[in-house]
Amino acid sequence: MARYSFLGITVERRMTYSRTASILTTIIAIGLAFAAVAGILTAMRLDTYRAFGVILAVFITPRLLLQAILRGLPIILASLGLAIAFKMNFWNIGAEGQIYWGMIAATGVVLAHAYYGYLPDLLVLPTMLIASFIAGGVWCLIPAILKAKLNVNEILTTLMMNYIAALFVDYLIYGPWRDPHGYGFPLSIPFPSYAKLTFVAGNPSYTGLVLSIILAAIVYVIFRFTKLGFELRVIGENLDAARYAGINIPRVLMLGALLSGGLAGLGGLSIVSGIIGRLRPRASPGYGYTAIIVAWLAALNPWLIIPAGIFFGGLLVAGESLQATLKIPNAAVQILQGIIFLFIILGEFLKRYKISFGGGRGVR
Amino acid sequence: MSVEWIASILQGAVQIGTIYLFASLGEIYAERSGILNLGIEGMMIMGAATSFLFTLAYGHLAAILAALVIGMILGLILGVMAVSLRLNQVVVGLALTIFGTGMSGFLTHPTIRAGVLRTLNPHIPESLLTIQEAPKLPEVPIPILSNIPVIGRAFFSHNILVYISYILSVFMWFILFKTRIGLSIRSVGENPGMADAMGVNVFLVRYLTSMLCGAFASLAGAYLFIGFHPFWQEGMTAGRGFIALALVILATWSPLRAIFGAYLFGGVEAIQYRLQVRGFGAQTPQFVLMLPYIVTIITLTSLSFESVRKRLGVPAALGVPYSREEI
Repeated sequence: MARYSFLGITVERRMTYSRTASILTTIIAIGLAFAAVAGILTAMRLDTYRAFGVILAVFITPRLLLQAILRGLPIILASLGLAIAFKMNFWNIGAEGQIYWGMIAATGVVLAHAYYGYLPDLLVLPTMLIASFIAGGVWCLIPAILKAKLNVNEILTTLMMNYIAALFVDYLIYGPWRDPHGYGFPLSIPFPSYAKLTFVAGNPSYTGLVLSIILAAIVYVIFRFTKLGFELRVIGENLDAARYAGINIPRVLMLGALLSGGLAGLGGLSIVSGIIGRLRPRASPGYGYTAIIVAWLAALNPWLIIPAGIFFGGLLVAGESLQATLKIPNAAVQILQGIIFLFIILGEFLKRYKISFGGGRGVR
Repeated sequence: MSVEWIASILQGAVQIGTIYLFASLGEIYAERSGILNLGIEGMMIMGAATSFLFTLAYGHLAAILAALVIGMILGLILGVMAVSLRLNQVVVGLALTIFGTGMSGFLTHPTIRAGVLRTLNPHIPESLLTIQEAPKLPEVPIPILSNIPVIGRAFFSHNILVYISYILSVFMWFILFKTRIGLSIRSVGENPGMADAMGVNVFLVRYLTSMLCGAFASLAGAYLFIGFHPFWQEGMTAGRGFIALALVILATWSPLRAIFGAYLFGGVEAIQYRLQVRGFGAQTPQFVLMLPYIVTIITLTSLSFESVRKRLGVPAALGVPYSREEI
């Protein structure tokens, strides 16, 4: 029997878990994480009420909410990509590196245009979008090929490739791509306005929101209505079944990885041409890792990724204002992220097992 | 390229490599028993932060002990979540890394640190509350041995933790490959079902190796701070925990091979620092810094060939949770 008890607590495997219960578990997980952080802040004799007030303010003040959406944009895009990868059980930890390659490609297009100018200004942004998608996608394709052809563990290769990508950005920006009029600072030239992500209402937040919804819809359609989506799911749930069903596993793996990395690449573009407006070293404060939390929190549902991403974008904004107004270190928000992640993972256990107190025959 | 220069590079290689050596020794045990610990980076930075705070409050010995305890606690959390609750090791590890990075930055932040230090030691002198630096672990050259040309400077003119790392590497290799305990650990990572049938307590072994891994990762962080660079910077481990993860693969899960790998990676960094001082490669140190990661990917790829796997003994059940009901 898939059941054992210990100290009067009985744990039993469960086969189904209702949607409501699943949402409830997630909300409780987030609530517990906030409670834990409240405990830490109180222990440090910090003003917990005002701190939470600052966090809440981010989500109810329109100006700050727009900022939250903007900061959430790279997280959402990368997370949509991760949803594809995780759906087929491809452990892409490399969204961070794919984000960096998206930034490199986007900046490359801008620089090429600024120096050699062979494109009409209007076509620069579309070219950037395509280039960053391809760059991020190829960066994710490499570990996928290694996995598909040689069965190389993708967790470690994607993780290592993050550092290679970040170092390559450092090289470019301290070297050939440094702004010649930038007083020696490691920055690229500022992006001209036609290279900025502002095609909706001239505002990067609105543009980002529209872009997120379009891409979430595409991922939803892929999951729901395409053969690829079906194959992704079968591979993720049961590799043997996929083999018997005659699914071309290497092909699906590589195609899925290309899409996954490509979306993260677009996330990279959204940083340089939406948030910062130029390339600088370490331009991503770990968006690619936060995207993993968001994908997990949203249970790989593309629609839920949008609010989850905005929530984490808002936490980043809140972190900065906590530091500025209450002198509470920005790191408090990172603790919150980590604890939310831990509790969500713990919630996963509740979804798989039923726990009851008292009773239970001691089967072990 | 004088002899002096080579000696100084080797000394740097050992000095930096010890960070990697400590972290990878623990990770080797964890992975040999089937636990992939992606929380190693967070455990390392927590170790560094803990040693910073405790060095100021009580001195070096307390710092090392406190780091070991913190590491064990984090390892225990990993154990509960990955072994008992059978949750995905990758996400648990990443969550611990994110948590550890945040927690270390929070506790050492100038506005928080004074309060933390006062809580640790109410009688701490006022002057220690705001400094970013701590005393470095003293170097203890070993008599006679340290006078050998080149070798003496490279290997026998370090602080006590470096010497401990020499002994521990050999000791942990011996335990892993020459004793019953080591056999149990390896069998749990190779085929947990079989190990269970043979009477090895799979859960206990994995709990212990998780905690050991946490303690060593944290010790590596403590060494990084008090033994190598006693000037606190937020996020000062800078991905070194993940490099240690890479090193474990390069060393193909052997504590003895980890020594060479650690000094190799340490040497690359040491050469790079010294070239920068001389003006070489100051423009493009990035490509040299990429080497450990590239080497890891190449190693991983070569390990994918069945013949190589068989010869080196890759733990077959790495990352797979064990449950009696699902065999």
